[in-house]
Amino acid sequence: MRKWVMGLVVVLASANLSGCGYNKLQNQDEAVKAAWSEVVNQYQRRADLIPNLVAAVKGFAAQEERVLVGVTEARAKATSIQLTPELINNPEAFAKFQAAQGELTSALKSLLLTVERYPELKSDANFRDLQAQLEGTENRITVARNRYIQAVQEFNVTVREFPTNITANMFDFEVKPNFSVQNEAEISTAPTVSFDTSTPSQQNTPVEGAPAPATPPPAN
Amino acid sequence: MKAALLTLALLLVGPVSVVRAQMAIPALEARVTDLTGTLTAGQQSALEEKLAAFERRKGAQIAVLILPTTAPEDIAQFGVRLMESWKLGRKGIDDGAALIVAKDDRALRIEVQYGLEGVLTDATSSRIINETIVPLFKQGDFAGGINAGVDQMLRVVDGEPLPEPDPSWKRDEGGRVPGGLVPMILMVIVAVGGFVRRTVGRGLAGAITGAITAAVVFAFTTSWIFATVAGGIVAVVVLAMGAGALQVLNGMGGSSRGGWSSGGSGGSWSGRSSGSFGGGSSGGIFTGGGGRGGGGGASGRW
Repeated sequence: MRKWVMGLVVVLASANLSGCGYNKLQNQDEAVKAAWSEVVNQYQRRADLIPNLVAAVKGFAAQEERVLVGVTEARAKATSIQLTPELINNPEAFAKFQAAQGELTSALKSLLLTVERYPELKSDANFRDLQAQLEGTENRITVARNRYIQAVQEFNVTVREFPTNITANMFDFEVKPNFSVQNEAEISTAPTVSFDTSTPSQQNTPVEGAPAPATPPPAN
Repeated sequence: MKAALLTLALLLVGPVSVVRAQMAIPALEARVTDLTGTLTAGQQSALEEKLAAFERRKGAQIAVLILPTTAPEDIAQFGVRLMESWKLGRKGIDDGAALIVAKDDRALRIEVQYGLEGVLTDATSSRIINETIVPLFKQGDFAGGINAGVDQMLRVVDGEPLPEPDPSWKRDEGGRVPGGLVPMILMVIVAVGGFVRRTVGRGLAGAITGAITAAVVFAFTTSWIFATVAGGIVAVVVLAMGAGALQVLNGMGGSSRGGWSSGGSGGSWSGRSSGSFGGGSSGGIFTGGGGRGGGGGASGRW
C-alpha cells in the first residue's frame, strides 16, 4: 500500500513538473540560444567576406576612398562588440549590436551602389563570386533573423502566459529583446519622387493633386 | 449603404487576402514540378529519371520547380519557404537542393540545404545560373537551360563525399518512438510482464513479454535485429524483476489501472504508427527526407 502511494506521488510529481512549463521554458530557452548562434554565425560570415570584397573593389576603384573606408570602419565597429551569450538577455547591448550591424548593412549597400559605375569591376570574375557570396550571406542573415524572431516570440509567450509565467518568474526567465525593422523611419516617411532632375529643390515639396508616383525609384 | 457594405466586405476579406498574399507552396509529388507547361512530358520524365537515378546512387535529393511567379515575395524568400515545406535532403545530412524558375518574373534560383552548402556554394550556384542557364534562357531554350543547369549541379554534388544511400533510410522521424514515450513504454512493458507472470509463471512470462515486445518493435522499425535485441532485453528484465517492484507495478498495471495505462498508451501508439506509415517513403510518390537549410544558394535573372 505504501509503495502504491509512493508510485502515485512520483507520477503526479513528474506530471506536475511538465505541467508548470519548466521543461517548456528550458527547451525554448535553448531554441532561442541556437537560433541566436546562427544569427551571429551569419553576421560573422559577412564580416569575414568584407576584407576580400574591399580588396577587390580597390583594384578597380581605388578613388572611391570614402565608401571603402566607410565599409571598413563599420565592419571594425560591428566586430568590436563582444558577442557573449548574455547579450540576448540584455536589451541595451542587443540594441547596440543591432545598430552596429545595421550601419554595416547600409555601408555595404552604398559600396555596391558605387560599384555600378565600374563596368570592368562588375564583370570581373573574382568580384562576381564575392558579390554572390555577399548576397547569399545577406539572405542567410535574413533567414537566421526570421528564425530567431520566431524562437524569441515563442519563448516570450511562454514567459508571459499563465500559468507558466509563475514558473518563469520563479526561475528568473525574462522576456528577451527581439529584432525590429531597421529602417523604421524610412518606411514611415512617404517617398517623394521627382522626375525633374534639374530642380532638386522641388523634391521636398510635392504639388498637391499631382499624380501619384507611378514608378518606384529604381531598386539598388 | 453600398459603401458601408463594401467596407464591411473588405474588412471581412482583408485578413484573408493578407494570408493569401504569399504564393502557395506547390505540393511535392515528383522531383520535377512544372506548373507552366514549359517542359514536354518526355523532357519532364527524362529529367525526373536522371534525378531519381542520382538519388539512388548518391543519396542527395535534387528537385526542379518551374512556376509562373513568386510574387509578391522575392524568389529568395520563396525558396526558403519552399524548402521549409519540401524538406529536401536526408534528415541529419541535409543534402538537398532545388532549382526554382519563376518564368514570368524572369528570375531563377538555386536553393541549397545545409549539407550541400560546402560544394554548391553561393559562388558556384551563381556561376551555374549566370554562365550556364541564363544564356540558354535568353535564347528561349528553357528545357536546355534547365537540363544543363541540373547536369552541372549533379556534377558538383558528385564531388562531395556523402554518406552512402541506405534503402532502409528512415525519411521521417515519425518512424521513431519519441523519447518522451520511452519511460511510459517501459512501465507498460513491466506492468504487462508482471501481470503475465502472475498468471502463467515466471519462465513463460519472460518469453511471452519478450515476444510481444519484439513484435511491437518490429512493427515500428521493421528491423529484425532491433526487434530481437529489444525482445531479449525485456525477457531478461521480466525474468529478473524483483518481487517488490513487481508487486508495486502489479498493483498499478495489473488489477485496477491495467485498462487505463495500456489503453492510453495503446491509443497513442497506433495513432503515431499510422501517421508515420502514411507519410513514409513507401509508394511511388517522392517526398523530402527531412533536410534543413538556411537560405543558401544564389539567385539570378535573365
